[in-house]
Amino acid sequence: MTLSTRQPWLLLSMLVVPLLTLASPAWFRIAGVPPSWAPLWLLPWALVDGQRSGILAGVCLGLLLDSLHPGPVSAIPALLLLGWWWGRLGYQGPPIERSFNLALLAMIGTLGLDLSLMLQWAWRSWFGLRGLQETPAARLALPGWHGSDLAMAGVQVLLSQLLLAAVLAPVVCSLLLLLFRRLQTASGRG
Amino acid sequence: MPASRWLRPGAARSLFQVWPLLIGLGLLALVRLSKGAFLLDAYAQLSRPFWPGTAQGEWLRSARRMEDQVRLAQLETENQRLRGLLQLQTLNPTRLSAPVISRVPGGWWQQLLLGKGSLEGVKVGQAVLAPGGLIGLVSAVTPTTATVTLLTDPTSRVGVWVARNRHHALLSGLGTSRPVVRFLEKDPQVQPGDVVLTSPASTLVPPNLPVGVLQSIDERADPAPEAVVQLIAPVDAVDWVQVLVPR
Repeated sequence: MTLSTRQPWLLLSMLVVPLLTLASPAWFRIAGVPPSWAPLWLLPWALVDGQRSGILAGVCLGLLLDSLHPGPVSAIPALLLLGWWWGRLGYQGPPIERSFNLALLAMIGTLGLDLSLMLQWAWRSWFGLRGLQETPAARLALPGWHGSDLAMAGVQVLLSQLLLAAVLAPVVCSLLLLLFRRLQTASGRG
Repeated sequence: MPASRWLRPGAARSLFQVWPLLIGLGLLALVRLSKGAFLLDAYAQLSRPFWPGTAQGEWLRSARRMEDQVRLAQLETENQRLRGLLQLQTLNPTRLSAPVISRVPGGWWQQLLLGKGSLEGVKVGQAVLAPGGLIGLVSAVTPTTATVTLLTDPTSRVGVWVARNRHHALLSGLGTSRPVVRFLEKDPQVQPGDVVLTSPASTLVPPNLPVGVLQSIDERADPAPEAVVQLIAPVDAVDWVQVLVPR
């Protein structure tokens, strides 16, 4: 029995992710960049609860995060894939518990999430600019992250969030993993 | 003989007796000739412990600020009157104070969340000011909150002009703390230190709101020169902002 079917209210714990994103405590930021909290919650959940639940949680989390900003890009595709992949890892191989492994997986997840956002911005920029080749002034007015922005500020955001994931994952993911495993064991006995 | 009288031993002796007096008189003459330099300097050194302290300085600055505010209000009234005479479009919005309840100045979305929303009259597109000038535009509202996209966000585009020579430009966020202005002319004749204001030609924001100061200029940028702007308003430090709500 999975956590999401036996204790569906536990899915509500993901509400902490948008709340932390909004609160954005200054002591967790590097150069003004906050951590990417979504992979830190999704990793232990998917490892414990499997790929179906991981996909469901990824989509729910993506919808919550997308509601916080008016931008045209979405976190859903990356979180869906991460939920599926981490769910498979949790069920197929030996249990993943070591801090190093959790930090590495969280960093890969953060990298995947940020790269998916960068790809979406680059895709929009490329298609937007392609229709404006003849009018340079209109190209300047096109809003959004463009190639030069992604190469400079985008890479800075990516590196900052990778570093934050490496620092936070051993603590946050280990504690959440422990909590979810205990609850799963308790619900299995019940 | 008169000369022999001056050279008497008694007269020379009395001259030696009064030499301190003569030196004193000479010094006083020097003080007089130097417009009291030694005296005033000595007074300054002696009275230094009693000089006006920071409190007095703060009072003076406060008085100066008050004077500036009065002058500003007077100029705004005069400006409105003249715009009315010229039958120009008058934008006289009210300023709605709103608390900043979430602040994300970095990352993929650089935005603030305000504690006032559509119930208070806040709408998408309204300008948001902090002490110092414009910081962004409202990009989304809920009944009790409003999301402000900061000028530093790459999705932000605002029409501006340089106050000194009135050359128009487009202020674009880059994802860093300093946005860039891209000029519309090939030779905008700007220099570091020029103040950037919102453009009267812009339909998004009220005219002549302070935005920032030009820091460095790249005249070889393609297709037109561009300049990095240091925003005047400290986004990292503001706890309350003002939303310009049309009457």
